Amino acid sequence: MKALVGTLRRICSERDGRLGLLFSVVVVLFALVGPLVSPSPNAIDVKARFEPPSVTHLFGTDNIGRDLMARTSAGTRYALVLAVTIVLISSIVGSLIGISAGVLGGWYDRAVTAIFDIINAFPPLILAFALIALYGTGPVTFILLITVVFIPQFGRMARARAQALRSQSFIEAERLLAVHPVTIALRHFLPNVAGPVIVLASMNLPVVITFEASLSFLGFGVQPPKSSLGTLIKDGFVSINQSWWPTVSAAIVLAIATLGATLLGEALRRVIDPKTTGVR
Amino acid sequence: MSVRVRNLAVDYSVSDGTAHALRDISFDIPEGEMLGLVGESGSGKSTVAFALMGLLANNATVTSGSAEIHGRTYDLTRPGATTALRGRGMAMIFQDPMLSLNPVFTVGRHLLEVLRRRHPETDRKSRLAMAEDALAKVKLGDPKRRMSQYPHELSGGMRQRVVIAMALLAEPTLLIADEPTTALDVTVESQIMRQIIGLRDRIGCAVLLITHSLGVVTSYCDRIAVLYAGERLENGTVGAVQAHPGHPYTRMLLDCEVPLERERLPLTTDNRFTVIAGDLPDPRQRPPGCIFNGRCDVSFEDCARIVPADYPVDDSRGHSARCLRLRSPL
Amino acid sequence: MTAAISVDNAFVRFGDTAALNGVSLEVPQGGCFGIVGESGSGKTTLMRAVLGLQKLEKGEIRIAGRVLGTDRGGLKQRASIIQPIFQDPAASLSPRCRIGMLMDEVGTVLGEAREETRGRLNGLLRRLGIDPGVVDKYPHEVSGGQARRVAIARALLMRPSIIVADEPTAGLDVSVQGDLLNLLQDLRQAENITLVVISHNLAVVRLIAEDAIVMRQGVVVEGGEAGALFSAPGEPYTQELLASWPHISVRQ
Repeated sequence: MKALVGTLRRICSERDGRLGLLFSVVVVLFALVGPLVSPSPNAIDVKARFEPPSVTHLFGTDNIGRDLMARTSAGTRYALVLAVTIVLISSIVGSLIGISAGVLGGWYDRAVTAIFDIINAFPPLILAFALIALYGTGPVTFILLITVVFIPQFGRMARARAQALRSQSFIEAERLLAVHPVTIALRHFLPNVAGPVIVLASMNLPVVITFEASLSFLGFGVQPPKSSLGTLIKDGFVSINQSWWPTVSAAIVLAIATLGATLLGEALRRVIDPKTTGVR
Repeated sequence: MSVRVRNLAVDYSVSDGTAHALRDISFDIPEGEMLGLVGESGSGKSTVAFALMGLLANNATVTSGSAEIHGRTYDLTRPGATTALRGRGMAMIFQDPMLSLNPVFTVGRHLLEVLRRRHPETDRKSRLAMAEDALAKVKLGDPKRRMSQYPHELSGGMRQRVVIAMALLAEPTLLIADEPTTALDVTVESQIMRQIIGLRDRIGCAVLLITHSLGVVTSYCDRIAVLYAGERLENGTVGAVQAHPGHPYTRMLLDCEVPLERERLPLTTDNRFTVIAGDLPDPRQRPPGCIFNGRCDVSFEDCARIVPADYPVDDSRGHSARCLRLRSPL
Repeated sequence: MTAAISVDNAFVRFGDTAALNGVSLEVPQGGCFGIVGESGSGKTTLMRAVLGLQKLEKGEIRIAGRVLGTDRGGLKQRASIIQPIFQDPAASLSPRCRIGMLMDEVGTVLGEAREETRGRLNGLLRRLGIDPGVVDKYPHEVSGGQARRVAIARALLMRPSIIVADEPTAGLDVSVQGDLLNLLQDLRQAENITLVVISHNLAVVRLIAEDAIVMRQGVVVEGGEAGALFSAPGEPYTQELLASWPHISVRQ
């Protein structure tokens, strides 16, 4: 808890960190507060098609008169939940696989590295298309598939850290005391791998948000009538001749969300992992 | 040409205040002599070297001090005061020779570069000859082949020899050697120390040897200055200080050394070792009185109140120590 | 009596260089055994092989008369017989664990009740001059000297009969190195422990060891009773080592 407060304080001590935190908080609040102040995201009102922003519809309406503020808010919420879930699962699973590979070595390590390499060999979007084409687009399937795409990144980092730790005297001391290997992995490797993994996770958050938006934009992600930032941009894009507002509003939210998460991730990296900042 | 350093004081600004790394350090090194500056970790001994070279870290400031080198006085509080001396009047040997060597340059290029600055009037051929001669002088075998080798092809001891050869060619007035043998094995250490002494005798420079090892100082130096928590506690010839340490800290340090000749009790568990109990004082807040008070085994009431001046020891020339017990009785 | 450690014709190679080139030695039980040598002599590789951290290419190492395997049972057996003191003992404490938890781990390995471990620990800490309250701290919250003692207490908690100390005085100021050496001397006296000291410091090994060997380039140059070895060395290399050692005796 003390560490958390300290980290927050140090993030706030620089401009980029403050900005990132501010943007992130705004986006999260927008996602949470949206449904309270605007009508249902799926309520159709054909009399009010393509309305510009007004007091009743702060973000205007879309081609079948749905409130865009509500839809953008719901889309943001959906994007955040997806991104956080994906990053959380892939970082935890990736760390455990990576640590076990780094600790055990041998054929297991080689097999894991090979699988990571195979996954990494595909461009992520193409791989995601292929997996979705094979397994469908349900939300749970979607989360699992994207998680698979992101696991190697975390796995590789955790493996490299674990290998470096393996020759440290405190790990050797544990081994020479015949402490159980699982205890060593969870109690002595994991906490020392966690720092960089948290940093990587926070920097991957915006990547996953845009990744999901791209997939949804291309029709592979969230299916109607649910909205996501990607589908909003796409739907707006289709009718951009009648009204440019839907596309732009969702794009702005997407930009703020990724910018905030990126700045926050960078600040977190500087706080947790000062080595990489370099010496001026 | 002797070297004089006067009233050197250095502060470091740290996250929670100002740490006084050095306070009022003065010493002389006569021409052709080697002064051993000994101190344990936290004594500030390396700060002395960096302050003289003008290589202090960004958060350090020289608050007072001057150095007289080659007949000229340099105000060390001015940033870059001694920059002009680097590579000419002053040369430095670090613990890690790779700090002085560029990994992508050959040994020869390093030596020729020194000569190009030092003797611009010479031609390439004579410089090559001088460089090879310098390598031979520091007992690096097969100088011709060494000239075209890169630092990574050499062992630690050989790299240190190259740095000494560079110093030899630079013909400095003051050579600063900061723990030059700490990373080396004892057999290499004695060879390197002999080379440093050979260099001193060849060009007659003053040498400031900074080390944590009293053994190295007593084996190879002419004079000794003992540093503790940023203050110079004792100063004198090695013989005088060893025979009659003026400061209790020096005496205790000498007692802590384990000489090879020490009597060995046959029941080995009976062989005990000397320890100086206590910790270094907080560098941010100097305690009143003597800096060594609290760890000293012969302190008395005044030690906690009065900061000792530099008193002569035994009237022997140039031997002094900062201990109140040396005050002449009033 | 079986030797505490017996090494028979051990070979280890790293690339082209032989770190151990046919090393054989016997460490008798009880007492202190010194291994001296310069960098690259293979003394650290020998220590790692004895601890089971380095596989031998050829040869055999017996600990208390037994060849110990690398399976879980072998590791446990080895751990209960032999424990290390690392060159930087403070670095042998896992940085993100409280000291108490590190100590309890030892109890878990021994299959001992927590109260019993803590009871023995308190006795050990008292003897090493450390406040038992240290168990609630993280390793970085205690001073370097205390961390060193905590690491030693942890090794002793395992109740080993052999302690291997790697360069115990390297990097220490002279004013504090004696403290650690006296501590090792006390331990030898109080418990019946075989102490193996690996060091480049001839003068220290000469004083604390009954027997010693001199290593160079993966080979044992010579060995024997420490007093005799250092007063009348037979091999030119040992003589050179002794001659290079800085002398500090008062020259009048």
